[in-house]
Amino acid sequence: MDGLKDRAAIVGIGATEFSKNSGRSELQLALESTTAALADAGLAPEDVDGIATYTMDNNPEVEVIRNLGGKGLKFFSRAPYGGGGACAPILHAAMAVATGVANVVVCYRALNERSEYRFGRPQAYQSRTTDGVLHYYQTALHGFMTPAAWVGMGMRRYMHQTGTTADDFANVAISARKHASTNPKAIFYGRPLSRDEYMASRMVVDPFRLFDCCQESDGSVALVITSAERAKHLKQKPALIRAAALSSPEGLVSLADYYTDDIALHDETHFLATQMYAMGRLTPKDIQAAIIYDHFGPIVMPTLEALGFCKRGEAKDFIKNGNIEVGGAMPVNTNGGLVGEGYIHGMNGIAEAVRQVRGTAANQVANVRNVVVTAASGFPTSGLILAAA
Amino acid sequence: MSDSAQLSHCSNKDYDFFYEGLAGGKLLLQKCAKCGVLRNPPGPMCPRCRSLEWTTLSSKGTGTIHSYIIHYHPPLPGFDTPHPVAVVDLDDGVRMLGAVHGVKPDKIRIGMKVKSAFGQRRGLDAFWFAPVDAADNAAG
Repeated sequence: MDGLKDRAAIVGIGATEFSKNSGRSELQLALESTTAALADAGLAPEDVDGIATYTMDNNPEVEVIRNLGGKGLKFFSRAPYGGGGACAPILHAAMAVATGVANVVVCYRALNERSEYRFGRPQAYQSRTTDGVLHYYQTALHGFMTPAAWVGMGMRRYMHQTGTTADDFANVAISARKHASTNPKAIFYGRPLSRDEYMASRMVVDPFRLFDCCQESDGSVALVITSAERAKHLKQKPALIRAAALSSPEGLVSLADYYTDDIALHDETHFLATQMYAMGRLTPKDIQAAIIYDHFGPIVMPTLEALGFCKRGEAKDFIKNGNIEVGGAMPVNTNGGLVGEGYIHGMNGIAEAVRQVRGTAANQVANVRNVVVTAASGFPTSGLILAAA
Repeated sequence: MSDSAQLSHCSNKDYDFFYEGLAGGKLLLQKCAKCGVLRNPPGPMCPRCRSLEWTTLSSKGTGTIHSYIIHYHPPLPGFDTPHPVAVVDLDDGVRMLGAVHGVKPDKIRIGMKVKSAFGQRRGLDAFWFAPVDAADNAAG
């Protein structure tokens, strides 16, 4: 089970600015972040022999390496399920370098998700494939067509089970925006959120208001992964990949996981956490910060429970009084999260976890040894625990 | 809405039975021909006994709301907003997604009794759920 523990490390991070209109192509964004990540690691494009990204990324691996002036690629892989797969490329990369299949793997995600297309618009599946007929049956057939609706369905059930209310949702949003307001890279830098502003924001898909929803952003983030042994001799303090896992619990239906006993957005993260803690030989008490995929901010609550930081139904109380802010018991999304920093499909959260391990985050948590990162719930999902050596 | 009308449901051999049912005003559920278990969403194999043989059951159409959302924004092609959609525990024993018509957004709740109804939407056969109790009705 612990075969991958501490065998690989993230040794470089790079990003473009996060904006509403990048003004350049997605390929250029991928090249800019990749170049920055390699420079951060003290490596050159010629060192790269592997690439791992998301199936949804529009930039082919071979176009990235050709434009970079790189050498031959020995490893390439893509992870499905959108934001659910956000941590999966790092698992793939870690497996590749731990087994010697590749030496230096770059992971990137580059998207003009605001200026060229928006995931928040109604999505209608029309291809008569296995995926297409299932999604049509659950989405376009009923006017159930946006991510806010898909995730909101499980969230409403969570509220029913736990007594969580909009006032609790506001606490999550306010904490995220507080972190964003002091992160110079964040779209909401300098713009904290008041409770009145939250409550006055329009309903997007009940139960989610506007300020529960992640940003739609343009930008790119890249990461460089190599073996833990090689990482010792590179420029940065390595972020060891202490655990990495994928999760699709029994009976899960992607995008519309409403058919198992408990649809309240716990199961996928619980199955993930069980694997990660076993691989890393860790318990929740060993974690100093959590980067939770907040496509919709309130998801932080069931995720904190599934990660074992509090009991089921108790997150609404756990998050109060700044307890998920820097200085609290479990700082969450110290970069501002996808709702506050920007939406680079989760890759920006992984970069924040690396900064927390290095000790270089804008909102740094003291004495970080282990940081947990989750990908989107409501989908097959993935996660990481990054650690200081 | 002729500009947004589509020619047919997005279906294949696994789902055709469902849309054929809608055409006849029926909500058809897939039933394993070997072990008799109902399943939704549809698929070619029974996850319990792995039989590839199946038949259909015409649902009673009655059930209870297990969870719901109300879509406000952005506009939905072919649907008025606010637009409620629910996951319903059908009395037959499986869950099913469907829009909820005929209820005020502030009246919809988990535990509400609903029943299926049939009609046309964007020129295609459709179904939705509506409240059983008159007191829950938008007109009430």
